[in-house]
Amino acid sequence: MIRAVALVVLLALASPAQALVLRDMLGREMILAAPPARIVSLVPSVTESAFAVGGGDRLVGVSDFCDWPPAARLKPRVGGMVNPSLEAIVALKPDLVVGTDEGNREETFLQLRRLGIPVYVVHAHRVAEMYDLIERVGELTGRQAAVGPLVDGVRRRIDAVRAAVRARPIPRVLYVLWPDPLLVPGRDSHLTELIALAGGRSITAEERVQYVRFSIEAAVARAPEVIVLADHSSGASTAGRAAPERWQALTSVPAIRAGRLYSVDLSILHRYGPRVPEGLEILARLIHPEAFR
Amino acid sequence: MVLTVLGVVLTAVALAALFVGGAGLSASAVARALAGRAEASSVEAIVTLSLRLPRVAVAVLAGAALAVAGVGFQALTRNPLAEPSILGVSSGAAFGVVLAQILGFQAGILAALGVAVFAFGGALLAAAIVYLIAVAPGGLAVQTLLLAGVIVGIFFSAAITVIISVVDFNRLSGVIHWLLGNLAPIPAASLALFAALAVGGVWLILTSARELNLLALGEEAASQLGVDAERLKRRVFVAAALLTGTVVAFSGPIGFVGLIVPHVLRSLVGQDNRFLVPTAALAGGAFLLAADTLARNVVAPAELSVGVITAFCGAPFFVWVLRTRTRPV
Repeated sequence: MIRAVALVVLLALASPAQALVLRDMLGREMILAAPPARIVSLVPSVTESAFAVGGGDRLVGVSDFCDWPPAARLKPRVGGMVNPSLEAIVALKPDLVVGTDEGNREETFLQLRRLGIPVYVVHAHRVAEMYDLIERVGELTGRQAAVGPLVDGVRRRIDAVRAAVRARPIPRVLYVLWPDPLLVPGRDSHLTELIALAGGRSITAEERVQYVRFSIEAAVARAPEVIVLADHSSGASTAGRAAPERWQALTSVPAIRAGRLYSVDLSILHRYGPRVPEGLEILARLIHPEAFR
Repeated sequence: MVLTVLGVVLTAVALAALFVGGAGLSASAVARALAGRAEASSVEAIVTLSLRLPRVAVAVLAGAALAVAGVGFQALTRNPLAEPSILGVSSGAAFGVVLAQILGFQAGILAALGVAVFAFGGALLAAAIVYLIAVAPGGLAVQTLLLAGVIVGIFFSAAITVIISVVDFNRLSGVIHWLLGNLAPIPAASLALFAALAVGGVWLILTSARELNLLALGEEAASQLGVDAERLKRRVFVAAALLTGTVVAFSGPIGFVGLIVPHVLRSLVGQDNRFLVPTAALAGGAFLLAADTLARNVVAPAELSVGVITAFCGAPFFVWVLRTRTRPV
């Protein structure tokens, strides 16, 4: 105990200006002796943002799902988002672990904190929160200077999409996140906001939760004019194949009659990072092809 | 003799578990940490002493508790296939844990106690329902008991899914991970509580072992030999539910340990519960620790749930026992 106190005092004396108080996106405070130099990211969008601001060198480990940019794949892996290996994380000697309240487990955070490793939790369900996330990742990696230009670029591209679809009719859109069981974005999902930015209106926008297990009947009853099936089949398994043929038979649906059933790989849209505008542009072109001729 | 051999096996497995893992430490680094000669903040000290050692302790405690709970349920029902997960008792306890977490028992020793109490309650409830379904004039019907266990287990699993889907959908994948049985290092105070509850449960069954031997002759015969059968059954019932609830509260529902371990031991030490209980405690600890060490290492750096390994061993074992030995214990 006395040794620990002495160590803290020594640290404080040695680097008084370096001690750093951080507050994560859940409002939890943590004190670091110095700006983090060895960060483990358990969140793909945090990994993407870190590389996008030029702070990729601060990452000493990433989750198995952090596959972008290609350089991220060269970082040591610590396991999945739900089941990372505590040992592998500890062995990387991180001074900060970044996690998310959506996909990681609170138990993992508790265990890491008990080992004296601070955990910074991010939480991004809105475009505004995405900017906040990029800015925070910029601070954590010591690349604040790069945040402004990056966020400006993202904002410009999103605004350009917005301007292109302005004053056009707003079609009813069904966005299918996962085909079987049918999973759709609800009120608290960032996808609902992105569909609106792309000039559509999600027919599941009023559902109370973030992701909804939806019945196909209810989807048909709401007569979507555009159906976007997120295709996950580029991943390791074929489980997420969009299966458009299943929808073709539903000829009462306006989208099917008009031939507006699309199956696209939109994984970049599902991940809240600097590549969101790219996904948004694709989505807007599907909803309003006439606006981008 | 058997106890000594099992003690040696347990020690060997524990040493193996301490020396392998996702961090890829060298043997000399682990040895240094174990000898207390590593710096407290070094990777080898944290991994060995704060991650692997508590996990070894949790695995040994959970394995011992589950194996003894299996012995208890088997003696109680006079059915060699009775076991916490097969009887649905683990699912009842898991329901209690999820309920406690929803109610806000999160971290700290008091919360751990609260979760344990809820898990015990869920285990008791599930066991009581199974018992009431299966009880028939003249004792418990063997097949009905197993079917009742399966049904009660399915019911409580469904109840868990409903709660999570309604209250906190984002946690669903985490809960599914936990439901497969998930050994993780827990804080020292919780570990002490785990140990105290497990020792209490084992003690209750160990001190009932002689009377359980007599119960094996049939309730009437046992009563003539001076055993208060109802009191004995209540006591073992509560103890086995306590052991199951405790394990589920601290490491999730892990299946089949209570089936495999007592069964193998019966062929080694015979039917005498006075030997069966202590040997089951040692062998259960060694078995679950070995399973967890596998789970930690086969897909490193990710981790499998230990319940996957025990189910892989347990399911074929169940079939084998069902085909060859379904006669009363």
